[in-house]
Amino acid sequence: MQEPRKDILDFLKKQGFLNEKTRLKDNDSLSETGVIDSITLLELIDFLEEKYNIQIPLEMITPENFDTLAGISQTVLKLKNG
Amino acid sequence: MAKVTNTCKKCVLDSATPGISISENTGLCQFCEHFTPPSAEKKEKYRSRMDSLLKSPPKKGKYDVIFALSGGIDSSYTLYRLKKEYPHLNILAVQFDNGFISDTALENAQKFCALTKSTYMRLCLDQNALQDTFLKAANSIDSYPGAAKYRASDICNTCISIIKEKIIELAITTKAPFIIFAFSPGQTDAPFVTLTKPLLVWMRKLFAQSLKSMGVADQEPYLIDARLIQSGSPEPEVTIIHPFLIWDYDKPKFKRECIALGWIDPDLKDHNSSNCLLNAFAIKNHLDKYHIHSYAYDLASLVRQGNMKRDDALKKLIVNVSDDSIEEIKRKLKL
Repeated sequence: MQEPRKDILDFLKKQGFLNEKTRLKDNDSLSETGVIDSITLLELIDFLEEKYNIQIPLEMITPENFDTLAGISQTVLKLKNG
Repeated sequence: MAKVTNTCKKCVLDSATPGISISENTGLCQFCEHFTPPSAEKKEKYRSRMDSLLKSPPKKGKYDVIFALSGGIDSSYTLYRLKKEYPHLNILAVQFDNGFISDTALENAQKFCALTKSTYMRLCLDQNALQDTFLKAANSIDSYPGAAKYRASDICNTCISIIKEKIIELAITTKAPFIIFAFSPGQTDAPFVTLTKPLLVWMRKLFAQSLKSMGVADQEPYLIDARLIQSGSPEPEVTIIHPFLIWDYDKPKFKRECIALGWIDPDLKDHNSSNCLLNAFAIKNHLDKYHIHSYAYDLASLVRQGNMKRDDALKKLIVNVSDDSIEEIKRKLKL
């Protein structure tokens, strides 16, 4: 399976207007660094559900799971691998 | 020598806008290059979900729906059509008085509430504090995340965020299961958003962060009551619905229908708002700060999806900088 981190970054560059020069570390907060807002977050969830053919349960949409590249990648992999 | 700018062949985005690139090969922007229209099956699935939610809403309180009503074309039409398709719904229509809504918008909102037998509520906050908050938004730089700057101006993002927070608060306190916003298909991608406490806590934190970055000291009046979403409080059980991601979006048709129903055209000089006097100034302010027209992304999406003609969208992007109304707003905001 393709590494989710790259897909997430591609999505944020395209839909989230993430500056090409911004260097995001795996555990940087996406909300505190001004990369995502609530609408981008919902769009990202929609994108991941389609791309990986997964259903993200509502209770999993928390900052712990969705505010860092590492958290999102792990969440996607966990759901994809059951 | 002036930099040559290209406009996307399909939509209205241009390379002068930061973050937008036009392919030399195709002449398309990065969004049009990868655009896939939503399938008919997907739309039908959304339609069926909206029907199942609204045909038999769970009865928990007095209202089934808290409706965000600006008095402009989109929300007036949505309220009318919603009640036409789902006549049993008890709707509380909330018009947020930001201090800059036109008299015509106030009249239109009340007229459409009477027409649809919806309960009208004018939501007012401290007008001086609100004016000061808009002034801070106008003077702020980068208070909102990158993508938000393309969706709306800093002033409109502030106003919309306040409306969202207060409407969600109302839905929770009145036990209304649904909130309806008449956002255009260019303004949002998600037809349904089911609210959970962690999501609401997060949304609240993000908006509080933006307010703080603008220098707004007293943020609480603009945010959802924290007690409603604290640990141990019940789950909100509220779903937001955006009908324009399910219905076809045809603004000229909506305008004709609304006028036939008694909606009055306020004749504002602003091409992009039929209710708010602050909007033209907000667009100009955003353009000056970021070189981003705050309606370009929305209009480009509408053109891309086939909901608006490209020429009509291009006309809407013309900013009348000598407009007297902009100067009047500047005086009112003490800029």
